Amino acid sequence: MPDGPDSQPRRRLRVLPRRRPRDEASGAWYPRWYWPGFALPGTLWMLALFLLPFYVVISIAFGTVDPVFQSPLPVYEPWWWTSRYLREEWGFATGEFRAVEVRTIVYVVLATAICLVIAYAVAYYVARFGGKRKGLFLALLIAPFFISYLMRMLSWVELLQPNGYVNSVLTFLHITPHPINWLAGVPFTVVMGLVYGYIPYMILPLYGFLDRIDQSQLEAGRDLGASPLRTFIRVTLPLSKPAILASLVIVTLPMFGDYYTNNLLSGSPKTTMFGNLLDNAMEATGQGPEAAVLVLFLIVFLMIPMLYYMRQTAKAQRDQ
Amino acid sequence: MARHPKERPARQGTMTRREVLKRSAAASLALPSAAALLEACAKPGTTTTSSGAHASGPGVGRYWPAGSPYPLARQDTPVTWKLWREPIKSGLAPEKGATLQIYNWADYIWTKVVKQFCAAYNCSYQITTFNNMDEGLAKMRTGQLQFDVFFPTPDVLGKLVTGKLLQPLNHSYIPHLVSDVWETYQSPFYDQGWHYTVPYAVYTTGIGYRRDLIPDEQIRGMSNPYEILWDTKYKGKIGIYDDYREALSMGLLKNGITDLNTGNPKYISKAQQTLVSLINAVNVRTSINGAYLGIPKGTFDIHQAWSGDMVAAWQYTPTQNMKTWQTLGYWFPSNRQGAVFNDTITIPANAQNPVLAHHFLDWMMTYKNAMLNFTWNGYQPPQRKADPATLTTTNSAYGEPYVFPWMPDAVVFEKDFHVGYFEEELTPQVDQLWHNAWQAFNSA
Repeated sequence: MPDGPDSQPRRRLRVLPRRRPRDEASGAWYPRWYWPGFALPGTLWMLALFLLPFYVVISIAFGTVDPVFQSPLPVYEPWWWTSRYLREEWGFATGEFRAVEVRTIVYVVLATAICLVIAYAVAYYVARFGGKRKGLFLALLIAPFFISYLMRMLSWVELLQPNGYVNSVLTFLHITPHPINWLAGVPFTVVMGLVYGYIPYMILPLYGFLDRIDQSQLEAGRDLGASPLRTFIRVTLPLSKPAILASLVIVTLPMFGDYYTNNLLSGSPKTTMFGNLLDNAMEATGQGPEAAVLVLFLIVFLMIPMLYYMRQTAKAQRDQ
Repeated sequence: MARHPKERPARQGTMTRREVLKRSAAASLALPSAAALLEACAKPGTTTTSSGAHASGPGVGRYWPAGSPYPLARQDTPVTWKLWREPIKSGLAPEKGATLQIYNWADYIWTKVVKQFCAAYNCSYQITTFNNMDEGLAKMRTGQLQFDVFFPTPDVLGKLVTGKLLQPLNHSYIPHLVSDVWETYQSPFYDQGWHYTVPYAVYTTGIGYRRDLIPDEQIRGMSNPYEILWDTKYKGKIGIYDDYREALSMGLLKNGITDLNTGNPKYISKAQQTLVSLINAVNVRTSINGAYLGIPKGTFDIHQAWSGDMVAAWQYTPTQNMKTWQTLGYWFPSNRQGAVFNDTITIPANAQNPVLAHHFLDWMMTYKNAMLNFTWNGYQPPQRKADPATLTTTNSAYGEPYVFPWMPDAVVFEKDFHVGYFEEELTPQVDQLWHNAWQAFNSA
């Protein structure tokens, strides 16, 4: 019986030694750990300053409190974890805190939208029309970072006082017949405070990206007969989508946890944001686990825009 | 780096798991102990208290709620804290060339007074501050920071003594407490026999207001002056303290409930609803500096206020003259049945200069020094010679009366601590109710 392909004696597979990857540019061979090794400092950094503290937060959320001092007592062993605080805070999150959650989302969405409109216009102008003054514009954009956020907000507190300069100007110009108490729990003040505080963080990444857009692509759009507006809508805007998403993430995430803007510019329960609830729990004796649970809720919620951003970024890379 | 709480020294009736494991390992060499090993596997945070916990507890008091590791002090149920170790010996010389480490609230002691002490005792000083009692306790607990004097509130005294974070006082170094300080503080209800504390400042919680907008007669003529906070005429310019105990206590007092340590859910709920109605009526704001900063600047017309804040508020008026100072007013019930409180000075267990610290306590109990400090921080010391009736007529080192005569309610009397209502430590369960009410108010 002739030997068929199936009946051929099996060759013994020889396990070859794993070859080291070859560097395409230089042709040199490097050990397998060589390139991943460059990620080591970053990995250690993340482990030390993000994952470990995050695990501590989880351990506090599922832990307990010291019976004497009522300070949070993290429980690192998952088999001892208790869901008591999680259940309690879930009850609040789906009940009494709902108004605050909705308010926070509304404030952040409004502030982010205003930030985007203003920041995009500024970044676009500097990138396209800055010319020789780009350096000056950049310096002006970075200038707010030289003054602490707290100091800038405190200066606004002075400006917005009933007898402050803002009211003086408004009444002088007869825009309002009498001074407005901007600091008396006015949602507009809080939203504008958020815009003012976070807008530099949006302008810079947008500028960085818009500045790198290849001019020839815009010229191609114009050459094909598109108007300046149509070129902007069909070419510039789609090209800058990754930057918009990145800057939205940069600005939105801290806004959700912000509490001091509201504390300084309002202080009214009418404008309480989620960050204020967190702050209250953090500062209260025996409320450490509750605060940690609220942090976890916030993180889970913020994962939604974060995952969307990651998905969009991955998609954009695939499309390139 | 701070050690993990479970690694900290064992407290009364408790043992850390690591300690148990160590002991278990040692014992297993000679005699394996199943009980110790079982305890080593105990759930973190649980305590092993024997049936005789009260007898061997850190203090003696009649009000000892279930689950509390120590008795809670109330005006009618005082607590005597046991001496967990002997005080320092009498007659020791103060440490020379030392640096007195002071751990205090921010801006709560005049450095001039401290400098004078250091000049007298040939030492230097270092002031470290904390922003709230939790922060203060957290740093104290680490044991890494060695302070010589610490300024806690009486409501955390149980924690500090049970945690063995304070050292008992040797009274022989502090004669001025007996000679100069109110009789009430010779044996306060929260520390009978003043084993661990001396009083620092006394104050009441009332209402601060702008006298140019609200005449004294108006607020004093009201049947329930707390209701002025609900006056829609001042909408947007009314504030309460961003402090759950003070704010809710005001809600209780407005409703005629005088137990400011109540655990009754109905009362707490009522106080919460009262505060919520304040939002709807006048869009109330919460702040911690609204009384002494906001009222002088015109940010607030009315603000819940500690008497000390209003006494010192004149230093923050935009223009420094008598006319602007006269715009500041303070109301407290004329029958003195309102919220009262005091702060204390203690010596931490790990103080490096305990003798110097004892002398510092005595320095602060001395009439001259206590009144000098009062001049600057506005918080009255409980001094016998500082007759409250004369505080409004006697000039301080600043050349103005200690308390302006149009603010007589801001003067604190010794009797206030017998007829007033003290905010004291709550059990964790009751405290949770208060916190929930506060969070509900803030999210209303």
